[in-house]
Amino acid sequence: MPLYTNNYVLVTIFLFLGILLPVAALTFGRFLRPNNLYPEKQTTYESGVEPTGESWIQFNVKYYIYALLFVIFDVETIFLYPWAVAYDKLGLFALIEMLIFIVLLIIGLIYAWKKKVLEWK
Amino acid sequence: MDITAWNWEVMTPEFIILGTATILSLIDLFMPDDRDRRFLGILGLLGVIAAGFYVIKFAGAEPVQIMNDMFRLDSFGTAFKLIFLTGVALLFILSIQYLNRQNQEVQYRGEFFYLVLTALLGMMIMASSADLITLFVGLEVLSVSSYILVGIRKKHLYSNESAFKYVVSGAIATAITLYGMSFIYGITGTTNLYDIAERLASAYQQGFSLMIYLGFFLMLVGLSFKIAVVPYHMWAPDVYQGAPTPVTAFLSVLSKAAGFAIIIRIFLSVFRSIVNYQSDAGSFYVLFQELNLYIAILAAASMIIGNTLALRQTNIKRLMAYSSIAQAGYILVPLVTFWGINFFSQTLFYLVAYLFMTLGAFAVIMVVTTDRGTEDIRSFAGLYHRSPFTAIAMTIFLLSLAGIPITAGFFGKFYIFMSSVLYENYWLAAVMMGTSIISYIYYFGIIRQMYMRPGDTEARLAVPLPAAFVIAVGVLGTVAVGLFPDLVLNYLNQNLQFTDMFARP
Repeated sequence: MPLYTNNYVLVTIFLFLGILLPVAALTFGRFLRPNNLYPEKQTTYESGVEPTGESWIQFNVKYYIYALLFVIFDVETIFLYPWAVAYDKLGLFALIEMLIFIVLLIIGLIYAWKKKVLEWK
Repeated sequence: MDITAWNWEVMTPEFIILGTATILSLIDLFMPDDRDRRFLGILGLLGVIAAGFYVIKFAGAEPVQIMNDMFRLDSFGTAFKLIFLTGVALLFILSIQYLNRQNQEVQYRGEFFYLVLTALLGMMIMASSADLITLFVGLEVLSVSSYILVGIRKKHLYSNESAFKYVVSGAIATAITLYGMSFIYGITGTTNLYDIAERLASAYQQGFSLMIYLGFFLMLVGLSFKIAVVPYHMWAPDVYQGAPTPVTAFLSVLSKAAGFAIIIRIFLSVFRSIVNYQSDAGSFYVLFQELNLYIAILAAASMIIGNTLALRQTNIKRLMAYSSIAQAGYILVPLVTFWGINFFSQTLFYLVAYLFMTLGAFAVIMVVTTDRGTEDIRSFAGLYHRSPFTAIAMTIFLLSLAGIPITAGFFGKFYIFMSSVLYENYWLAAVMMGTSIISYIYYFGIIRQMYMRPGDTEARLAVPLPAAFVIAVGVLGTVAVGLFPDLVLNYLNQNLQFTDMFARP
């Protein structure tokens, strides 16, 4: 049993570090920066665009489908990286396997395209 | 290690199903929208038959494993795959009938067919893997496909409600299952079921019993969702009612059989070898003599709750949902006596009987409810005068579900009952007997409607050919298995050596 519970010591250390770091960073920043507030500075940061309206608005459902598509192909690249690095060792078989994987994903893309997910109206 | 050296041929049935699903989706995408998509169902049917051919061809061979037991070809998987493929073949025939031109409720007809195929792929993986991760991926492939299938009537209010309920409760069940698996993985450090079994036995001696129990209970509760038994049964009535009738049949027969496949595979492989040496009563197997009590309690609770709540139902699909909760309780009974010699053949015998009688019953339900436009039990009133053969077929299915002699359901129940008595599990046998008698009330309620109540119409009920075929196969299967139960049991015992499930080639 002792071995198993010892693992939680590490978790606790990480928890404390995780809390400590932002607190320390913000406190240091408070001492280091000049204190010069004016109204424009206190508005919500919106990538340089003038913020308008409430934050609780309905998003077009297409954002989600778009985001889902993006995540799928993002994950695909994550799978491709280790395969590409170890390509010499894995050889022909992994190449075929990867092709099957990519072809199936492309069929998914064709599906999205045919169902007009990629069009924005 | 050279990956080309593995015997990839054993995965042929899975590859065929995957290929068929892919081809169907491509055809569906590039076909004009106004075309009839029912021929996709016929293509899917051909794929299922081809896969079935290879499953039968590989049956009875020595167990083969590839990728470190991630995929196994053994008799256990083969038997379950045959059940899945037969069921999906019949379901396709039923769906071709369901998606006719009059049906305006399902817009995505192509999707219907290939989602059934991907669900089938998930079930086949669930039946023939010995690795927690692969088993879980199979479970999810089945789950996600069936979530969409339940909600495939996109504009239908009940269909949407049931799909939402199914997704939410399914996600919770998945989380619970995974949490349980994480304890087992945490103790043993591997996902291979055979390695887990070895390391779990020694972990138990080292005092990790509490975590093993936690893993067991969490996995049992999470996986009980798929087979719809207590404590995870409450989704079944709502989802069964809202889903299109062929999908309801799919959930109540195939999804349930796949749930049993994964439960038996995981629990029997993983917890089998744990022995308690330190008890006062001498050493004993933890799974077979301690944990099985909890499975017995779940089985008894399912039988009682399913059968009593079914008494008050007026909607035929809700009634079938409660009936299927009770049926799952019956199938759990042989799992309580886990190491009974005939445990595998009893479970599979009941699943075969259940396949024929339930699919047949749902075919009749589909024809009658579509004709009357209501799912109330009263839609069966006067069926005997409208279509005598359909009424007689439905009577056979209901008698089989109730467990009346010379039907398949009787022998299925009889064997389970006898095994329970044999292993001195008298209280469970008594619960099974008592709740079976309660179930007569609602099964005979439908029969009374068909023969003794006057219907709103006396017009002849035309049974379309595909549905008639499924009903005929159901009647033949139910009666033939009921008349010659020995043939089926002998085939199961002689051609399929279930103990090779534990062999590591």
